[in-house]
Amino acid sequence: MPAIRVNPNRMELLRLRTRGDVARRGHKLLKDKLDELMKEFLARIGANRRLRTEVERDLGIASGLLTVARAEAGSATLAQALMAGEPADLLITGEKHVMSVVVPVFEVAELPERGGYSFATTPAVLDGALERLADVAPKMIELAEREKAIELLAAEIERTRRRVNALEYVLIPQIVETVRDIQMKMDEAERGNLTRLMKVKEIIAAKEG
Amino acid sequence: MSARVAVVGDPTSVAGFRPLGFAVFPVEVPAAARDLWAELAGGEYGVVFVTEPVYEAVKDLVRETADRPVPAVTVIPGAGSAGGVGQAKIDRAIERALGTTVPVREEEG
Repeated sequence: MPAIRVNPNRMELLRLRTRGDVARRGHKLLKDKLDELMKEFLARIGANRRLRTEVERDLGIASGLLTVARAEAGSATLAQALMAGEPADLLITGEKHVMSVVVPVFEVAELPERGGYSFATTPAVLDGALERLADVAPKMIELAEREKAIELLAAEIERTRRRVNALEYVLIPQIVETVRDIQMKMDEAERGNLTRLMKVKEIIAAKEG
Repeated sequence: MSARVAVVGDPTSVAGFRPLGFAVFPVEVPAAARDLWAELAGGEYGVVFVTEPVYEAVKDLVRETADRPVPAVTVIPGAGSAGGVGQAKIDRAIERALGTTVPVREEEG
């Protein structure tokens, strides 16, 4: 690790020592943060995998039922029946801080009452399909919330790890090396000074004697 | 703050969501979702569900919203797609964070 280029004097030495202390403290803090983030993260991924499998399975079933309904009623009738309904504000969104990461919180407001299509012209299986979808909808939204949190945490973990590594493997060794360099140079200068003094003393003594 | 939920996908896959109050965006070809993206990512929608083919088409746009809390873009299997893309998306995030994938532990829970 190449040392930082600075003048080898006492001022720089003191300054670098302070910087080293700050870097070490920062490193410890960031490392603790990383550990805690990791803990949070690992706790989330297992549960998420289960939820996703469940949602994908339920959506598959609902889509199968819709296909049956389409086959029974004809796609024109079904398309018409499914025109019912208006986009509504389904979510109350909030924010939560997990280890200084802002993650969204979605609360599902009431799903609108289903219906608005003719029961006479549509097959019964359509009701079943829509019921199935209505059941899975809150789970889908929960999944969205969890996956977003996982992604945001992942990004934060990556960033934090980069910082930890940069401190641990670059900045701190650099500072340590530079401090050693400065100390050696100063020691060397000190020794040079001492021998010079001794020499001068000797010369003076020789002249006087 | 209240927000809407959007679903983007081929007409067959998204058909059933309209009666539930979702905002439905049927697209005939996945790439058409790119034109809708500005509206979807504008903040009006808290959650945007995309089917797997659509996700493949708008991947780079999704990445731009990745560091914001909303919209949460979630991949759902569409009619007739194999599935697994959504889990792969999360697995990539896990790999990014941990530097390795985590083996599935089914016995848990």
